[in-house]
Amino acid sequence: MSERVKVQVRNLTKKFGDLLVLNDVSFDVIEGDLLCVVGPTGCGKTTFLNSLVNIYDITSGEILLDGQKVNTKTQNIAYIFQGNSTMPWLTVEENVGFGLLYKPLSAAEKKERIEKYLEIVGLVKYRKYYPKQLSASMLQRVSIARAFATEPELLLMDEPYGQLDIELRFKLEDELVKLWQMTKTTVLFITHNIEEAVYLGNKIMILSNKPTTVKTTLINELPRPRDIADPQFIALRNQVTDLIKWW
Amino acid sequence: MNEKVKETMISAICAVISIGAFLLLWWWGTHFTTLSKLMPDPVTVFSSLIEYCVGTVGKCSLIVHMLNSLRRVLIGFLLGSLVGISLGLLMGRYMLARAIFNPIFRFIRPIPPIAWIPISIVWFGLGEQAKIFLIFLAAFANTTLNAMTGAMSVDPEIINASRMLGAKERQIFTTIVIPAAVPSIFAGLQVGISSAWASVVAAEMIKAQNGLGWTIQAGMDNNNMTQILAGIIMIGVVGFLLAYIMRKAEEVMCRWNKSGR
Repeated sequence: MSERVKVQVRNLTKKFGDLLVLNDVSFDVIEGDLLCVVGPTGCGKTTFLNSLVNIYDITSGEILLDGQKVNTKTQNIAYIFQGNSTMPWLTVEENVGFGLLYKPLSAAEKKERIEKYLEIVGLVKYRKYYPKQLSASMLQRVSIARAFATEPELLLMDEPYGQLDIELRFKLEDELVKLWQMTKTTVLFITHNIEEAVYLGNKIMILSNKPTTVKTTLINELPRPRDIADPQFIALRNQVTDLIKWW
Repeated sequence: MNEKVKETMISAICAVISIGAFLLLWWWGTHFTTLSKLMPDPVTVFSSLIEYCVGTVGKCSLIVHMLNSLRRVLIGFLLGSLVGISLGLLMGRYMLARAIFNPIFRFIRPIPPIAWIPISIVWFGLGEQAKIFLIFLAAFANTTLNAMTGAMSVDPEIINASRMLGAKERQIFTTIVIPAAVPSIFAGLQVGISSAWASVVAAEMIKAQNGLGWTIQAGMDNNNMTQILAGIIMIGVVGFLLAYIMRKAEEVMCRWNKSGR
């Protein structure tokens, strides 16, 4: 089966004043990929993601989604942020359905999607709870369900588990893999955690230190579910670590 | 006994003790010191208060005076908070609105409502409009400031998330900025209703025929300290009730803002 390019990034450059953050970055994301982007802390990973969805204006270059300029109003893109981005005044189910408010779907279809994703992330019991009544991992699950409920063409995740403890992180990583396998959504997952990148991605893109360029992209064909103690896993993790070193 | 019930009981007992101690001190002062030359004792004041409520002070009962004041406060407060919240939200969300209106608002805000009395008489005459205008100003200043602060402090991550989910600017304003600003708006309404109620006395000094402000003014003119104190107590009780109602409304509207399961 031929691979279809979902996202094309061509010569992307981003400057903040005189500070060059992204330097002539070019790469493709294939439809259905779970592409993990790793790089040193502060190398501009978030800048890259924010440039992709027009939160920041790019200095030069081109970003295309399905061959067209990225437009979050007309294209179905979801973004899961580093921090908690749930709406505190909405209940869990209202939060999950929030993105559907703006989609041309029937009420029955919206309800069905909310039920489906509440079920998948295990929050049916907490549907009437408000975010202030939830734990950090539950909040991230709400964000994940909300993003997947829109059934996006492209899902961007910016270190979504960075602030969670290791047990919760493992749990949510498994949930993400399950959802990705079910929906075949194209996912761009930003992280500075090499183990997380090797555990999740079917591809791993390694960025250099600032000014950021793409060092290389590795194909990760380790079987799932992945075992972090498996020698092949450790070997790939070490390979990524060596590639990421800038000192 | 759960923590909340225990806390409520302790608060209620403390309130009864402190009010009781205050009344006892007042009674003691008026019976054993020269305070009796300045004011009547609490028993006289409270029995007169009941008499004023069932009888008349001037042309009507104290209850009718209170209702007249309450009507003015509610009209002024509703108009002031409606304009204040709308303007505050716009200034909080849109830089251009802030650039245009904020300098005028910052100039008007520190001016106490009482300073507007001469101008309000010139603009609106001696009737109801001038009184409502003063109360409007008291409510407007507080609600504008809080609505603006609320709209400005919406978490940018939530705004970005909604934008990513496809919300347009108008939808961000209605579905994100307004609900996120509600707790701050309520804080403004709380202060606004207290200021509006406090301003009614000043407003009713503008040639009023009734109202609690008039009751106090008339008591002062007739050197009737009992009537003055009865009016003050009525203002305090109604002010307390208004603040309580507002707090309960906030609890219902902002129940999402409480932590814990």
